[in-house]
Formats: sequence, C-alpha cells, structure tokens
Amino acid sequence: MAASLEVKNLTKSYQRKGQPPFVAVRDLSFEVMPGEIFGLLGPNGAGKSTTINCLTGFYPPTAGEILIEGFDIHQSPKKAKQHLGVCSQEDTLDTDFDVLDQMLRYGTFYRLDRFQIVKRARELLETLGLMEKSNELIENLSGGMRRKLQVARALIANPKVLVLDEPTTGLDPDARRILWQLLTDNRKLGMATLLSTHYMEEAERLCDRIAILFQGAILDLDTPQKLIEKHIGIEIIEEEIRPGVFWKRNPNLEDVFLKLTGKSLSAGEES
Amino acid sequence: MKTLSQLKEDFWPIGCVWLRYFDVYRKNWIYGLVTTFVEPLLYLLSFGYGLGTMIGSVEENGISVTYRQFVFAGFVAQSCLFQGFFEAAYGSFVRMYYQKIFKAMASTPITLSEVLWGELLWDATKGTLSATAILTLGSISGDLSPIGSLFAIPLCFLGALLFASLGLWMAALSQTIEQISYPQYLLVFPMFLFCGVYFPLETLPQNLQLLASFLPLTALLSLIRCLTLDFPFQIQALAVFIFWLVFMIFMSRDTMSRRLVK
Repeated sequence: MAASLEVKNLTKSYQRKGQPPFVAVRDLSFEVMPGEIFGLLGPNGAGKSTTINCLTGFYPPTAGEILIEGFDIHQSPKKAKQHLGVCSQEDTLDTDFDVLDQMLRYGTFYRLDRFQIVKRARELLETLGLMEKSNELIENLSGGMRRKLQVARALIANPKVLVLDEPTTGLDPDARRILWQLLTDNRKLGMATLLSTHYMEEAERLCDRIAILFQGAILDLDTPQKLIEKHIGIEIIEEEIRPGVFWKRNPNLEDVFLKLTGKSLSAGEES
Repeated sequence: MKTLSQLKEDFWPIGCVWLRYFDVYRKNWIYGLVTTFVEPLLYLLSFGYGLGTMIGSVEENGISVTYRQFVFAGFVAQSCLFQGFFEAAYGSFVRMYYQKIFKAMASTPITLSEVLWGELLWDATKGTLSATAILTLGSISGDLSPIGSLFAIPLCFLGALLFASLGLWMAALSQTIEQISYPQYLLVFPMFLFCGVYFPLETLPQNLQLLASFLPLTALLSLIRCLTLDFPFQIQALAVFIFWLVFMIFMSRDTMSRRLVK
C-alpha cells in the first residue's frame, strides 16, 4: 500500500540577518499510511509547526521533498492540496462569515458542488455539536467551539490527508473526546492523519506511531507501546508525588521524552 | 498559447477569492455603499458645486474648463487613490495579521499568489465602483464626456489597482496597523493635495511641478482628463503610469509573500 503522506529528508532553515541560518528542522523522514494516525510529539520550539508549515505547502523546504497522495506539495501544490485538510495551531477562522457559510465557502475552494458541500458541512457540524450554532457569527462562539469549527472546516473536502496542529488545545474534556472519536472514525475510513500535540495522553491514545521531535530532529519513531518498552521498560514506576506520598503508575511517553531529551514535554521555548 | 479553458482554469481560484470579498461587501451592502460612494460625493458637492460656482473656470495645458469639470475629473482619480489604498492597506493588514485568512485560504488548493491577486483585484474593483459613480454623475450633469467616461472606467480599474498595490505593499511592510499611518500622511495625502486634483499643476513652483509629474496620481489624472475633458494626451503620463503600475504590483506581491512565507 502506498503512503498517503511521505516526508523525505526534510530540512528547513530560516535566514537571519548577520547570523548563520537557524536550522528549525533537519533531515526528517517519515510516512503516514492510509488509515493511520501519526503523532508528532515534542515541546514548544521542537520544530512541529515548522514541519507542518512545510507539509502544508506554506513554507518551502530548504531540502527534501513532501508528497501527498504522490504529488509533491511544492511542485504540484494544487493537485497535492486537493487531498489535504489543514487545521493550523492559530485561529484562522474567517470572522466575516457565520459558521455554515464558513464551511460552504471553504468547500468551494476545493471545487466541490454545492449540494455535496452543504451535506458534508451539516454532517460535520452535527457530529461536532455545532449545528445549533450554524447561523452564528464566529465572534459569538466560545474558544472550544472555534477550535472544533476549525477542525470541521479542515474536513469539509473529506481529505485523504488531514494535518492537525495541536487541535485540542483549549478544549474541555467533553469536546476533546468528541474530537478523538471523530479522528477514530476517520481512521476507519482510510484517512491518514498527522497529529501534532504536546498532550501525551492524546498521543498515546490516538496515535498508531509517534515521532519524538526535539530541536528539529526525530529522536525516535515507533508505536507508543514500543517506545515505552524500548526506553523505559514495562516495570511499574513508583514516585513520590508529595512528601511521604508514593504513587505507583505505568510508564508513559512523558518518561520516554524525559529520558531522551532530559526535558519534560511542557518545557521548551516558543520558536 | 493558452486556450480559453486553460485561462478559465487559471483564473477560477482568483475569482473564488474575489467572490469571497464581494460576498462580504454584499452582506454589508449599506456599509459598503456608504464607504464607497458617500465620501467622493461629499467632496463633489462641496468643491464642485460649492467652491466651483465661486471660481468659474481654470486653464491647464491650454484648455479652459469650468472648475466643476476640473474637480469632477480630479475626484474620479482621487476615489481610485483612496478606495484602492485604504481597502488594501488597512483591509489586507486585518486579513493578513488579525484574521489570518490569507494563510487559511492558501491551505486549500488556492495558492498564496492567487490569494494576493484576488485581494488586489477586489480592492481595485471597489475603487472602480466609486470612480464609476462619479463618472456617471459627471456624464449626467454634462460636466464630463459620456463616451470618454465609458473609456475611463477600465483606466480607473488600473489606477485603483496601482493604489491598491501601494496599500498592500505598505501593509506588508508595517509591523502594526498604526504604522500604515506613515504612508497615509506622508505619501497618500500629499499626492491627493499636490497632484492636481484641486488646481492645475502649472500653479505650483517649478521644482514641485517636476516632482509631482513623476507621481502616479498625476499621471492617472492626466489620462482621465484626457479622456473625459479632451485635455491633450501626454505620452510621458502614460509611461509614468505604466511604470508605477508594474512596479507597485511586483513590490506588493513580493513583499507580502516574503512576509508570510519564511
């Protein structure tokens, strides 16, 4: 089976005045298969957003190539992006339109016919609990609703590759679970998903494979279970959570990350 | 040579972006009408019919016209300047910096280059709508040549495109929305006041005349007056206009792309 998303030796550096270029990501290679959820796990500043900006065709790579359904995103952007849905980390909702109009407008950018767009938009809004707000302006939505709408908009063209940059940041637990369920359902339909997150629970629960990204490089790439077994083992960990209070728990990705980088997932600087 | 269907294919995404702006304009049509038409009409009433009755006639390039005719044509160019520049400068800054919709649209099969073309063409459309309203009024009142006014519409579109490109360029260079005030006060307002909207350039000191003759509004005004008031055609005005149009379009698109794409 051919990969839906292929990243080959991706390197991206930024030019700086009077200084050598800053290498944000170096020599990344991975692929995401149809029906797979692939996690990019790393703290702020690890290079996740740079990678995603290159994957979505916004930033040209310094070296390497990115193929979406076999089309190079920078050589054939229109063909590649026809199969791509993107939910970026920042809020990019179009505040000049209401919720439903927003969905319809973005559907037209993919040249879908109106009947198809309306049907798909209604389905997505229903699934994400936004149907009652379909005629509301964006400014009347809560932060969590805006985030869900941005995910819904990324799915309007039923893409084969979905890129989500920290989609659950700011979501309440209920909304997060709805989104997780949607991603799980899409996996069954063969959608390849690239999920960037710094929530280890989310990565462990959803991702089939995870790349641990730190200082622009992949430190390791495997299934969550294998990463834990490889770097920490399966022994129960006992830690003192308060003076004199001990807690036993299973090892997790946070432990893996700490071992590989010497830092916790929440640490790091914004790049 | 591209076929018609290839051209349609090329322009479809730009049309999509243009339509997005048009739909916003149509949704807020009262606001749109007020901001597009009221300002130039107020200037017309005040200067054309108010001051115009006191001044009588003016002469430029050996042609004598009434002051009302003179400023009528001036306000056509001024509406291209104001509508094109302000919509592109402030509007695109909001869309690029606060709404981030340039990036959102460029994440779809529409490219950033097409998004920027759509932006510029919409801004130019808005300027053309405003200029067309004045041309229509001028034709009805008998102050401007109706046939010349018809031919002036595509010229106004290009003029508004030029000033929209200036606006987009300035938006791309500004770190905050307040910084757009610098080109507004140091470039747009001086052009509006000293390029011949209100008085013939010949009344200015020689050095200022020379400086003004290289500015895009002067060139646009000369071409508009040539079409609508039968002023003599000046080839240097056409050359200056084309130079600024090409230069501004290139700079605006290049600078905005560099700002967004790292």
